[in-house]
Amino acid sequence: MDPKVAKLKEKPKPFLFPEFCKGCGRCIGSCRFGCITEGTEINPETGLIPVVLDLEKCSGCGLCASACPEPFGLFMRVVDVEEIAKEDLEGVHTFQEMVELFDKADFELTDPSELFGPRETEAPEPEPIPDQWIPFSHDEPLVLKGNYASAVGAILAGCRHVYGYPITPSTEGAELMAKLQPLMDGVFFQAVSEVATVNMMYGTGGAGLPCMTFTSSPGFSLMLEGISYMVGAELPAVFVNIMRGGPGLGNIGPEQADLKLACRGLGHGNSHAIVITPSTPQEMLDLTMLAFELAFKYRNPVIILGDGYLGQMTGRVNLPDKMKKPGIPEWAVYGDLSHRRNLICSIALSEADLERHNIHLNAKYAEMAANEQRADLFHTDDADVLVVAATTPARMAKGAVQELRNQGIKAGLFRPITVWPFPVDLLKPLLEGARRIVMVEASNGQLEDELRLALSKEGVHPPPIQHVRHFGGVLPQQEEIVEAVRKGEEAAK
Amino acid sequence: MSVSAFYQRFERHAKGLGIKGHSTHYCPGCGHGLVHKYLGESIDELGVQDRTIAVSPVGCSVFLYYYMDVGNTQSAHGRAPVVALGHKLANPESVVISYQGDGDLASIGLAETFHAAQVGMPITVIFINNAIYGMTGGQMAPTTLLGQETATTPRGRDRTAGLPMRMAELIAQLDGPVYVERVALFGAKQREKAKKAIKKAVRLQVENKGYSFVEVLSECPTHLKMTPPEAEEWVKENMVPIFPLGVMKDVSDSITSEMEFKPFTPSFEVEKVRDLILEGAEEKVPRHAAAFPEHIAKEDVSLKLAGAGGDGAQTAALLLTRMAINEGLDSTHIPSYGPESRGGTSYADVHIARQEVLSPASPQPNILVAFNAPSLVKFGPNVAPDGIIIYDSSVIADPPSINGNVKMYGVPFTEIAVKIGRRVIKNVVALGALQAVTELFPEETFLEAIRQALAAKCAMIPMNEEAFRWGRKAVLEGMED
Repeated sequence: MDPKVAKLKEKPKPFLFPEFCKGCGRCIGSCRFGCITEGTEINPETGLIPVVLDLEKCSGCGLCASACPEPFGLFMRVVDVEEIAKEDLEGVHTFQEMVELFDKADFELTDPSELFGPRETEAPEPEPIPDQWIPFSHDEPLVLKGNYASAVGAILAGCRHVYGYPITPSTEGAELMAKLQPLMDGVFFQAVSEVATVNMMYGTGGAGLPCMTFTSSPGFSLMLEGISYMVGAELPAVFVNIMRGGPGLGNIGPEQADLKLACRGLGHGNSHAIVITPSTPQEMLDLTMLAFELAFKYRNPVIILGDGYLGQMTGRVNLPDKMKKPGIPEWAVYGDLSHRRNLICSIALSEADLERHNIHLNAKYAEMAANEQRADLFHTDDADVLVVAATTPARMAKGAVQELRNQGIKAGLFRPITVWPFPVDLLKPLLEGARRIVMVEASNGQLEDELRLALSKEGVHPPPIQHVRHFGGVLPQQEEIVEAVRKGEEAAK
Repeated sequence: MSVSAFYQRFERHAKGLGIKGHSTHYCPGCGHGLVHKYLGESIDELGVQDRTIAVSPVGCSVFLYYYMDVGNTQSAHGRAPVVALGHKLANPESVVISYQGDGDLASIGLAETFHAAQVGMPITVIFINNAIYGMTGGQMAPTTLLGQETATTPRGRDRTAGLPMRMAELIAQLDGPVYVERVALFGAKQREKAKKAIKKAVRLQVENKGYSFVEVLSECPTHLKMTPPEAEEWVKENMVPIFPLGVMKDVSDSITSEMEFKPFTPSFEVEKVRDLILEGAEEKVPRHAAAFPEHIAKEDVSLKLAGAGGDGAQTAALLLTRMAINEGLDSTHIPSYGPESRGGTSYADVHIARQEVLSPASPQPNILVAFNAPSLVKFGPNVAPDGIIIYDSSVIADPPSINGNVKMYGVPFTEIAVKIGRRVIKNVVALGALQAVTELFPEETFLEAIRQALAAKCAMIPMNEEAFRWGRKAVLEGMED
């Protein structure tokens, strides 16, 4: 052992690097012997006035250290001289000498961060636990309500954490989950509100596990703050919003009036999420499974918009041929050693950091827009008139298109399956043939706005747009769509 | 520096450069640093650093994640306890700390605070009460004292601004928590108690005993406009009389092993999942129909079943959908209820399609089944030309005349059901009548669907089959019973 750096076997005594003292003086009152006094000299590194220690009478009781609010402030230690540059330690053998060394005016702490070593944490680099797909077979179709089908889809997508607050017409999803999840040692938890619901999802999504909720329009409004946080913190989750009549309390009839909210207003900030619009119980299952895939693929919430009819509608549902056992992604805060390094966070205090984060998010949105446009086309190849509709109204529209075809009118249906991103790439080619568009909606034209905006961004001027609209909990019916298209055709002649 | 639950360098604080790498962002004399230290020491001493998740919501301590070398989650204002529950439920083995200030816990997050406490799941809530809003610059907190001047109570808080919230007392009133204590940071004695309380609150979570809550009276010298020693004195003299210190509740010793929280692991066993989803529906039901009922409609039969809530229109409609799907067809059912689920009007639209149901609504049904007079009056006139109406002649004595070639059949659903012994079975009587009138599907298709629906209540099957047969019989015998 090098005699110059001998370890001391003294009782631990308070030790302070003046650079880490803010001079609050909490320690002063804690010392019975008056070892600590207010300082008088401003520390050039901090601009603060650190306290002064005179440890002649120190008993090593440690009360001063426990009074110091700074993690690297006053602390008790037996000086281990190896931590300090050896040339500075010439002749230094006692704790007191050590303190004096640091008090010397000519001793400069050039980079205080070097004092405690460079590492931030000893936690290992996180490693992902991969998902597993397990074969699942069942040939016979089930007879399921839309809300139930979505719940079954979620279970097969590996979701074992469901949070919610009851709201008509979405509750069947939650009720089925409340029945089934505990039998799989999964979780259904009725939160105190929708605000609490989305934040429980923030926690579970942050832990890297698939989670979801069933809600309806007024409840969805309440979740928007949390969704913005989830977008900011890049957390996966699936929100099934079975839209009902609004604004305000409105009624429990079917509507499509949250499209704008989901596509353009997911809380504050530059937020976006993929918005999926199923139109059959089968799609409620299939697209819920897809929603979980996309949520994890992009680390972003995914919104499923149904309407009151779709949630309540019972129909034929075929099950998929596989189910998922989810793993844990490397970014998760799961509460174990391998994820200890991680942070779930939507703060970026510095403007440069936040701009960088937003650029990253926008690049992600662009990727979603490029890859995830989906639409269903029915008789569109030679269509003169393009009927555009989503969710249940798309079924009325499909019936109408078939009826119109039977009558010799060349109508076709363009049904967006994603409304954000709007499937404009699939729409554009159809506009080469179509002379007119008829928008069928249960809202004041929110889908039409999405269509117009998407076309406008593409520099495409749309053909004349006619619309069939209902709101207040009423859906457009097949006959009136047929009527509207016929009238439009006659007017065009 | 001996607390390993702190990062060795605060990389997240201004990238860990210079002084900030080892210095907190808190003002001199702030109580947060002390509580961070006691929390860090407790985590170390209990050996749970790897399992710990610290949740830091909006407030000065939102940057807790700069310092604690544990899993970190930053959350929205007031929502930390439910974010904590979301973590706890995701990984019941994790040790979750919800670290909140007074604005967060006692103002915007009250609902979450109380609910999480009453749920009682083992999480640890650390509540920093300094009687003022620090981060936003010295505004009134829910715990601001009467007369205390703040940026939003410039003449001192008066009663119109509300009285200070005593959270520890309120939380202790609830049945959920196992341990609630209020501590302070002035003087060595209080600090020692604070450290002990925090450690106990974490330990009770580690031991799965339940929810713990520690309120810490803390100093905010900056916004109190005092020196740190003055602020300590102020807390002692002014806060303690309003917020008395001590244990408010401690039932941790009486938590037996049965009452403890039991960590769980979700199942992904394919057989189990399949059984739960299929719920006994996995048996393939034989087909009985030779073809699509094109004598009613070419591609798509639309039906409407309407009555008062409780008449069983929905159940009957669902059975029709099930039958059609059993027969390899496509089918949909949409219920429409009145304002109340019971007692209002209730109708169901059913479609049965050879290939695919397009529009699932039935504004002009081929078949209407009416359980009461208002339904018949409302929907009767819309029935498609050549359509069929079947109504309950027990309750509709004087049916309106319907135009066109619509055929009407009155069958005493209720009377027959009462005779069999259960009034509620009238919807099955109606199905029997429907089968006899329309021959939508063979008899056996109907009976099969009824048995399938009652698989879990086998004892009910004979009575339902009887009701079905009586409904048929009433039609076939010209309604003479």
